[in-house]
Amino acid sequence: MFFVGSFFLFSAFLVTTCIFVIFSKNPVNSVLFLVLAFLNSTFLFILIGAEFVGIILAIVYIGAVAILFLFVVMMLDIQKVTLMLNIKKYIPIAAVFASIILAEIIYLTVYKTNKVNPDVITKYDNNTEQIGDVLYTKYFIDFQLSGIVLLLAMIGAIVLTHVYRPSIKRQNIDKQNTTSSTNRVQLVKIKSGQGIKND
Amino acid sequence: MISLSYNHFFILSTVIFIIGCFGLFLNRRNMILILMCIEIILLAANINFVSASVFLNDINGQVFSIFILTIAAAEAAIGLAILVIYFRNKGEIDITQINQLKD
Repeated sequence: MFFVGSFFLFSAFLVTTCIFVIFSKNPVNSVLFLVLAFLNSTFLFILIGAEFVGIILAIVYIGAVAILFLFVVMMLDIQKVTLMLNIKKYIPIAAVFASIILAEIIYLTVYKTNKVNPDVITKYDNNTEQIGDVLYTKYFIDFQLSGIVLLLAMIGAIVLTHVYRPSIKRQNIDKQNTTSSTNRVQLVKIKSGQGIKND
Repeated sequence: MISLSYNHFFILSTVIFIIGCFGLFLNRRNMILILMCIEIILLAANINFVSASVFLNDINGQVFSIFILTIAAAEAAIGLAILVIYFRNKGEIDITQINQLKD
Protein backbone atom coordinates (compact mmCIF):
# COMPACT_ATOMS: atom_id res chain seq x y z
CA MET A 1 0.00 0.00 0.00
CA PHE A 2 2.88 2.32 0.82
CA PHE A 3 4.49 1.40 -2.49
CA VAL A 4 1.41 2.16 -4.61
CA GLY A 5 0.60 5.34 -2.69
CA SER A 6 4.15 6.62 -3.05
CA PHE A 7 4.09 5.89 -6.77
CA PHE A 8 0.91 7.88 -7.29
CA LEU A 9 2.14 10.75 -5.11
CA PHE A 10 5.48 11.08 -6.87
CA SER A 11 4.06 10.63 -10.36
CA ALA A 12 1.38 13.25 -9.70
CA PHE A 13 4.10 15.66 -8.55
CA LEU A 14 6.20 14.75 -11.60
CA VAL A 15 3.42 15.45 -14.11
CA THR A 16 2.44 18.67 -12.32
CA THR A 17 5.98 20.02 -12.28
CA CYS A 18 6.47 19.11 -15.96
CA ILE A 19 3.34 21.11 -16.79
CA PHE A 20 4.66 24.03 -14.73
CA VAL A 21 7.96 23.88 -16.64
CA ILE A 22 6.09 24.50 -19.86
CA PHE A 23 3.65 27.13 -18.68
CA SER A 24 5.86 29.29 -16.45
CA LYS A 25 6.23 32.88 -17.60
CA ASN A 26 9.67 33.29 -16.08
CA PRO A 27 12.45 30.96 -17.36
CA VAL A 28 14.08 30.84 -13.90
CA ASN A 29 10.88 29.37 -12.48
CA SER A 30 10.74 26.76 -15.20
CA VAL A 31 14.34 25.71 -14.53
CA LEU A 32 13.54 25.31 -10.83
CA PHE A 33 10.45 23.25 -11.68
CA LEU A 34 12.66 21.14 -13.94
CA VAL A 35 14.90 20.46 -10.93
CA LEU A 36 11.82 19.40 -8.95
CA ALA A 37 10.70 17.10 -11.77
CA PHE A 38 14.13 15.40 -11.82
CA LEU A 39 13.99 15.03 -8.03
CA ASN A 40 10.58 13.35 -8.24
CA SER A 41 11.78 10.95 -10.91
CA THR A 42 14.76 10.15 -8.67
CA PHE A 43 12.32 9.20 -5.92
CA LEU A 44 10.40 7.02 -8.39
CA PHE A 45 13.56 5.21 -9.46
CA ILE A 46 14.62 4.56 -5.89
CA LEU A 47 11.07 3.38 -5.12
CA ILE A 48 11.12 0.66 -7.77
CA GLY A 49 14.62 -0.46 -6.84
CA ALA A 50 16.91 1.21 -9.37
CA GLU A 51 19.00 3.06 -6.83
CA PHE A 52 22.11 3.69 -8.90
CA VAL A 53 20.30 5.28 -11.85
CA GLY A 54 18.22 7.37 -9.46
CA ILE A 55 21.22 8.78 -7.65
CA ILE A 56 23.07 9.33 -10.95
CA LEU A 57 20.00 11.19 -12.22
CA ALA A 58 20.09 13.43 -9.15
CA ILE A 59 23.82 14.09 -9.46
CA VAL A 60 24.04 14.57 -13.22
CA TYR A 61 20.76 16.29 -13.96
CA ILE A 62 20.24 18.38 -10.85
CA GLY A 63 23.90 18.96 -10.08
CA ALA A 64 25.16 19.65 -13.58
CA VAL A 65 22.56 20.12 -16.29
CA ALA A 66 19.91 22.07 -14.39
CA ILE A 67 22.53 24.31 -12.78
CA LEU A 68 23.99 24.92 -16.25
CA PHE A 69 20.53 25.96 -17.43
CA LEU A 70 20.17 28.20 -14.40
CA PHE A 71 23.51 29.92 -15.04
CA VAL A 72 22.64 30.54 -18.69
CA VAL A 73 19.16 31.85 -17.84
CA MET A 74 20.54 34.22 -15.25
CA MET A 75 23.39 35.33 -17.54
CA LEU A 76 21.34 36.11 -20.60
CA ASP A 77 18.77 38.67 -19.40
CA ILE A 78 15.78 37.15 -21.14
CA GLN A 79 12.47 38.89 -21.43
CA LYS A 80 9.19 37.28 -20.49
CA VAL A 81 8.16 34.28 -22.54
CA THR A 82 5.38 34.82 -25.01
CA LEU A 83 3.45 31.68 -25.78
CA MET A 84 2.49 30.94 -29.31
CA LEU A 85 -0.91 32.41 -30.06
CA ASN A 86 -1.78 30.90 -33.43
CA ILE A 87 -1.91 27.33 -32.16
CA LYS A 88 -4.94 26.53 -34.29
CA LYS A 89 -2.73 26.25 -37.34
CA TYR A 90 -0.99 23.19 -35.91
CA ILE A 91 -4.06 21.32 -34.67
CA PRO A 92 -4.37 18.88 -37.67
CA ILE A 93 -0.71 17.75 -37.39
CA ALA A 94 -1.03 17.51 -33.64
CA ALA A 95 -4.21 15.45 -33.97
CA VAL A 96 -2.45 13.00 -36.29
CA PHE A 97 0.51 12.57 -33.93
CA ALA A 98 -1.70 12.33 -30.86
CA SER A 99 -3.90 9.67 -32.45
CA ILE A 100 -0.80 7.65 -33.42
CA ILE A 101 0.55 7.79 -29.86
CA LEU A 102 -2.88 6.97 -28.40
CA ALA A 103 -3.19 3.94 -30.68
CA GLU A 104 0.26 2.77 -29.57
CA ILE A 105 -0.68 3.14 -25.91
CA ILE A 106 -3.93 1.22 -26.35
CA TYR A 107 -2.16 -1.52 -28.28
CA LEU A 108 0.62 -1.89 -25.76
CA THR A 109 -1.51 -1.72 -22.63
CA VAL A 110 -4.42 -3.87 -23.76
CA TYR A 111 -3.22 -6.35 -26.33
CA LYS A 112 0.34 -6.97 -25.32
CA THR A 113 1.38 -8.92 -22.28
CA ASN A 114 4.74 -8.16 -20.80
CA LYS A 115 6.82 -11.23 -20.39
CA VAL A 116 8.77 -11.36 -17.18
CA ASN A 117 11.89 -13.46 -17.35
CA PRO A 118 12.46 -14.52 -13.76
CA ASP A 119 15.08 -17.10 -14.62
CA VAL A 120 17.79 -14.48 -15.01
CA ILE A 121 20.27 -15.27 -12.28
CA THR A 122 22.62 -12.50 -11.36
CA LYS A 123 25.68 -12.91 -9.23
CA TYR A 124 25.01 -9.82 -7.17
CA ASP A 125 22.15 -8.59 -5.03
CA ASN A 126 23.25 -4.98 -5.13
CA ASN A 127 21.89 -2.82 -7.94
CA THR A 128 25.17 -0.96 -8.42
CA GLU A 129 27.18 -4.17 -8.65
CA GLN A 130 24.75 -5.58 -11.21
CA ILE A 131 25.11 -2.49 -13.41
CA GLY A 132 28.88 -2.49 -13.08
CA ASP A 133 29.05 -6.17 -13.95
CA VAL A 134 27.33 -5.49 -17.28
CA LEU A 135 28.65 -2.00 -18.00
CA TYR A 136 32.35 -2.77 -17.79
CA THR A 137 32.21 -6.07 -19.68
CA LYS A 138 29.41 -6.25 -22.22
CA TYR A 139 29.09 -2.54 -22.92
CA PHE A 140 32.75 -1.61 -22.50
CA ILE A 141 33.12 -0.09 -26.00
CA ASP A 142 29.90 1.90 -25.56
CA PHE A 143 31.15 3.14 -22.21
CA GLN A 144 34.37 4.42 -23.76
CA LEU A 145 32.44 5.97 -26.67
CA SER A 146 30.17 7.85 -24.28
CA GLY A 147 33.30 9.26 -22.66
CA ILE A 148 34.47 10.43 -26.10
CA VAL A 149 31.06 12.02 -26.67
CA LEU A 150 31.42 13.95 -23.42
CA LEU A 151 34.94 15.06 -24.38
CA LEU A 152 33.68 16.25 -27.78
CA ALA A 153 30.84 18.14 -26.11
CA MET A 154 33.28 19.84 -23.76
CA ILE A 155 35.66 20.83 -26.58
CA GLY A 156 32.76 21.99 -28.74
CA ALA A 157 31.27 24.15 -26.01
CA ILE A 158 34.64 25.76 -25.28
CA VAL A 159 35.38 26.39 -28.97
CA LEU A 160 31.92 27.85 -29.58
CA THR A 161 31.91 30.26 -26.67
CA HIS A 162 35.57 31.27 -26.71
CA VAL A 163 36.18 34.89 -27.68
CA TYR A 164 39.59 35.93 -29.03
CA ARG A 165 40.47 39.38 -27.78
CA PRO A 166 43.65 40.78 -29.45
CA SER A 167 44.04 43.52 -26.85
CA ILE A 168 44.94 41.06 -24.10
CA LYS A 169 48.70 40.49 -23.61
CA ARG A 170 49.55 36.81 -23.81
CA GLN A 171 52.57 34.70 -23.02
CA ASN A 172 54.47 33.53 -26.11
CA ILE A 173 56.35 30.48 -24.88
CA ASP A 174 58.30 29.79 -28.12
CA LYS A 175 59.60 33.34 -28.21
CA GLN A 176 60.54 33.12 -24.54
CA ASN A 177 62.45 29.90 -25.02
CA THR A 178 64.38 30.94 -28.15
CA THR A 179 65.61 34.25 -26.82
CA SER A 180 68.80 34.62 -24.84
CA SER A 181 69.75 36.84 -21.96
CA THR A 182 71.85 39.19 -24.13
CA ASN A 183 68.74 40.29 -26.02
CA ARG A 184 67.00 41.29 -22.86
CA VAL A 185 69.57 42.64 -20.41
CA GLN A 186 72.24 45.19 -21.27
CA LEU A 187 75.11 45.80 -18.87
CA VAL A 188 76.21 49.39 -18.75
CA LYS A 189 79.24 50.72 -16.93
CA ILE A 190 78.53 54.13 -15.55
CA LYS A 191 81.32 56.46 -14.75
CA SER A 192 80.96 58.46 -11.65
CA GLY A 193 79.29 61.84 -12.10
CA GLN A 194 78.07 61.28 -15.70
CA GLY A 195 74.81 59.31 -15.59
CA ILE A 196 73.17 57.51 -18.51
CA LYS A 197 72.23 59.24 -21.74
CA ASN A 198 68.75 58.31 -22.77
CA ASP A 199 68.76 57.64 -26.55
CA MET B 1 -5.91 -3.00 -3.55
CA ILE B 2 -4.08 -2.60 -6.80
CA SER B 3 -0.61 -3.80 -7.47
CA LEU B 4 1.84 -1.78 -9.45
CA SER B 5 2.71 -3.05 -12.90
CA TYR B 6 4.78 -1.91 -15.83
CA ASN B 7 1.72 -0.34 -17.45
CA HIS B 8 1.54 2.33 -14.74
CA PHE B 9 5.10 3.44 -15.47
CA PHE B 10 4.52 3.17 -19.20
CA ILE B 11 1.50 5.48 -19.02
CA LEU B 12 3.44 7.89 -16.78
CA SER B 13 6.36 8.07 -19.19
CA THR B 14 4.00 8.55 -22.13
CA VAL B 15 2.24 11.41 -20.33
CA ILE B 16 5.59 13.11 -19.64
CA PHE B 17 6.68 12.55 -23.25
CA ILE B 18 3.47 14.15 -24.52
CA ILE B 19 3.93 17.10 -22.14
CA GLY B 20 7.43 17.62 -23.54
CA CYS B 21 6.23 17.44 -27.15
CA PHE B 22 3.41 19.84 -26.37
CA GLY B 23 5.91 22.25 -24.86
CA LEU B 24 7.98 22.05 -28.05
CA PHE B 25 4.96 23.03 -30.07
CA LEU B 26 3.76 25.66 -27.62
CA ASN B 27 6.92 27.63 -26.87
CA ARG B 28 8.13 28.62 -30.27
CA ARG B 29 9.67 31.90 -29.21
CA ASN B 30 12.12 30.98 -26.48
CA MET B 31 15.02 28.69 -27.30
CA ILE B 32 15.91 27.75 -23.73
CA LEU B 33 12.45 26.36 -23.07
CA ILE B 34 12.83 24.18 -26.15
CA LEU B 35 16.03 22.76 -24.66
CA MET B 36 14.19 22.11 -21.38
CA CYS B 37 11.40 20.33 -23.26
CA ILE B 38 14.03 18.09 -24.86
CA GLU B 39 15.31 17.29 -21.37
CA ILE B 40 11.77 16.36 -20.32
CA ILE B 41 11.42 14.06 -23.32
CA LEU B 42 14.72 12.35 -22.46
CA LEU B 43 13.52 11.98 -18.86
CA ALA B 44 10.42 10.18 -20.17
CA ALA B 45 12.66 7.83 -22.15
CA ASN B 46 14.71 7.21 -19.01
CA ILE B 47 11.62 6.36 -16.95
CA ASN B 48 10.48 3.95 -19.63
CA PHE B 49 13.87 2.21 -19.81
CA VAL B 50 14.37 1.93 -16.06
CA SER B 51 10.86 0.71 -15.25
CA ALA B 52 10.98 -1.86 -18.04
CA SER B 53 14.36 -2.97 -16.74
CA VAL B 54 13.01 -3.44 -13.23
CA PHE B 55 9.75 -5.14 -14.13
CA LEU B 56 11.22 -7.42 -16.80
CA ASN B 57 14.14 -8.31 -14.52
CA ASP B 58 16.79 -7.33 -17.02
CA ILE B 59 19.65 -5.01 -16.06
CA ASN B 60 20.47 -3.82 -19.62
CA GLY B 61 17.78 -1.14 -19.52
CA GLN B 62 19.45 0.66 -16.65
CA VAL B 63 22.78 0.60 -18.49
CA PHE B 64 21.14 2.21 -21.49
CA SER B 65 19.55 4.74 -19.17
CA ILE B 66 23.07 5.78 -18.12
CA PHE B 67 24.01 6.21 -21.79
CA ILE B 68 20.93 8.37 -22.33
CA LEU B 69 22.02 10.51 -19.38
CA THR B 70 25.45 10.98 -20.97
CA ILE B 71 24.00 12.02 -24.30
CA ALA B 72 21.55 14.38 -22.59
CA ALA B 73 24.35 16.12 -20.71
CA ALA B 74 26.41 16.54 -23.90
CA GLU B 75 23.39 17.83 -25.78
CA ALA B 76 22.56 20.34 -23.06
CA ALA B 77 26.14 21.66 -23.04
CA ILE B 78 26.29 22.10 -26.83
CA GLY B 79 22.80 23.60 -27.00
CA LEU B 80 23.50 26.12 -24.28
CA ALA B 81 26.81 27.08 -25.94
CA ILE B 82 24.97 27.72 -29.21
CA LEU B 83 22.39 29.71 -27.24
CA VAL B 84 25.08 31.87 -25.63
CA ILE B 85 26.77 32.76 -28.94
CA TYR B 86 23.39 33.38 -30.57
CA PHE B 87 22.48 35.76 -27.75
CA ARG B 88 25.89 37.45 -28.07
CA ASN B 89 25.32 38.08 -31.77
CA LYS B 90 21.63 38.98 -31.80
CA GLY B 91 20.89 40.31 -28.33
CA GLU B 92 17.80 38.09 -28.02
CA ILE B 93 16.89 34.41 -28.18
CA ASP B 94 13.87 34.66 -30.41
CA ILE B 95 13.64 31.37 -32.26
CA THR B 96 11.80 32.89 -35.23
CA GLN B 97 14.90 34.80 -36.31
CA ILE B 98 17.23 31.82 -36.18
CA ASN B 99 17.08 31.10 -39.92
CA GLN B 100 19.31 34.11 -40.44
CA LEU B 101 22.23 32.09 -39.07
CA LYS B 102 22.89 30.63 -42.52
CA ASP B 103 24.02 33.98 -43.93
